[in-house]
Amino acid sequence: MEEIVYVNAEGRRIDGRKLDELRPIKIIPSVLSRAEGSAYIEWGQNKALVGVFGPREAIPQHIQDPTKAIVNYVYRMATFSVPDRKSPKPGRREIEISKVSGEALAKAIFVERFPNTTIDIYVHIFDSNAGTRCAALTAASVALADAGIPMRDLVSACAVGRAAGHIMLDLCKEEEDATDAVDMPLAIMPRTKEVVLLQMDGIISKEEWKEAFELGLKGCQQVYEIQKKALKRKYEEIAEEEAKAIEHVDKQLKEISENPELLRGGNK
Amino acid sequence: MEGKLVIPGELVTDKRMRLGPHVFVENGKIYSDAVGLAKIDRGIARVVPLQGKYMPKAGDVVIGIVVSEEYSYYIIDINSFYYSFVPKEEIRIPLRKGTIVSAKIVKVDEINAATLSDIRVFRGGEVLTISPVKVPRVIGKNASMLNLLKRGTGCSLMVGMNGRIWAKGGNIELLKKALAKIERESHLSNLTLRIQKMLEKEKQHTRR
Repeated sequence: MEEIVYVNAEGRRIDGRKLDELRPIKIIPSVLSRAEGSAYIEWGQNKALVGVFGPREAIPQHIQDPTKAIVNYVYRMATFSVPDRKSPKPGRREIEISKVSGEALAKAIFVERFPNTTIDIYVHIFDSNAGTRCAALTAASVALADAGIPMRDLVSACAVGRAAGHIMLDLCKEEEDATDAVDMPLAIMPRTKEVVLLQMDGIISKEEWKEAFELGLKGCQQVYEIQKKALKRKYEEIAEEEAKAIEHVDKQLKEISENPELLRGGNK
Repeated sequence: MEGKLVIPGELVTDKRMRLGPHVFVENGKIYSDAVGLAKIDRGIARVVPLQGKYMPKAGDVVIGIVVSEEYSYYIIDINSFYYSFVPKEEIRIPLRKGTIVSAKIVKVDEINAATLSDIRVFRGGEVLTISPVKVPRVIGKNASMLNLLKRGTGCSLMVGMNGRIWAKGGNIELLKKALAKIERESHLSNLTLRIQKMLEKEKQHTRR
C-alpha cells in the first residue's frame, strides 16, 4: 500500500489546508418553517439540519423536573450519510453523542427559567466526513438562538487531534484513520472559554495535549465568529433590502422634481 | 428601530445599570440572553428580542381558544406552556370548543402556569398569529400602529400579548400582508410610516 503523506513539505495537509485551518463552514439559520428554531450547516463535507422545539410541557409528566427544563438532544445519522448503509436504529455511538451534546447545551441555556418543560433539539446528519458531532453542536446552538431560547452564550465546537505526529485542527476522515491518530472534539462557551464538551480517543502525551487544547480553543473562536455572522446576516439583509427600496423611491422623487414632464404619462 | 444587533452572550454594556428584560449580569458586566436589539435608555439596559416564545405575565391581555369543556370548568389554550382553567361560575355565557375569548392574566405561578379572569367572548372573525415578541410593534407607540391598521384595513382588531390577533370584517387579506411586513421588518425604524405607505398604495389599487 502506498503511504499517505499527511503533511507535505509546504506544511499543507491532504486537502490542502494548513495545520491550524478549519474546513469551510456555512451556516444558515431559520430554514424550517414548522420548527420554532432551525439551522442548516455545511462543514466541509458534513451536512446537518437542526430543528428546535420548546420549551414545551414535558410529557410524560414523570420526566418533568420542577427545578429546570430538560434538554432533549437527539442526534441521528441518515442511512445514506456513510459509505456503507447505516442501520436507522440509533446505535451506541448516537446515543452517547446525544447525551454529551445535550449536556453541553444545557450549560449554556437558562434552563432554570422553564420548570417542567423540555427543549427538544433534533439533529440529522445527511453527509459525514469526521467531526459531525462538532458540526451538529455548532448548528444546534445557532438553532437555539434562532428559536429565541435565552442563553448565556453560544456553544462553539471544533475538533483537534494528531495525525502522523502533527497536531492539527479539524481532522478529516483520512487523518482520523492515521495509525497514530488522536481525535479530540472540544466545545466551549467562547465568552468565558468554559469547556462544555471534551472527549478524546487515542493516546497522547501531556505536552502534545496542551498544544492541541490551545489550538482547539483558537478553532472554536473562529467557529464562533462564523456563528455570529450567520445569526446577524438575516436581519442585516432585510435592512439592506429596505434601504435599497427607500433609495429607489427617493431617486424617483428626485427625478420627478427635476423633470416634471415625467408625471404627464405616456399618452401624447 | 435604533439599537445594536446582539446575539446571546454578547456584551450590552460594561457599566453598572438597572436591568431591563433579556439581559443578565456576569462579573459586573451586562450581557444579552437573546438575539435582539440592545438599548440603553434612562439608565436601563435592555434587549428587545427578535425571536422567542410567549412568557405569561400578570396583567397581560391574551387571546385564548377554548380547548374543551369539563363539568365545572373550561380548558383554554393561551399559546403558553400549559392550558389554563376557568371555572364556569366566572362566566355567564356557555362556551364551546373553539370559541375565541380574550382574558386577563391575574397571576402567574412559579412553573409559569397562568390564572385567567375577565373572560370576554368574540363571535365570528378569525384569529391570526404573529411572533409574540413582535406584539409591541403591532401596537406601536400610543397604539399608533394599531390605529393605523384599523383605519387602513377596516378590520375590528383585538391584539393579545400572546401573539394572537382577532380580526373581523374589513380587508383581512390586506391585514395579513401588513402583519407579515411588520414581522419581517420589526427590527427597522420608521415602520409605522412604511406600513402607512403600503396601506395607502393598496387602497389606490383597489379604487382603480
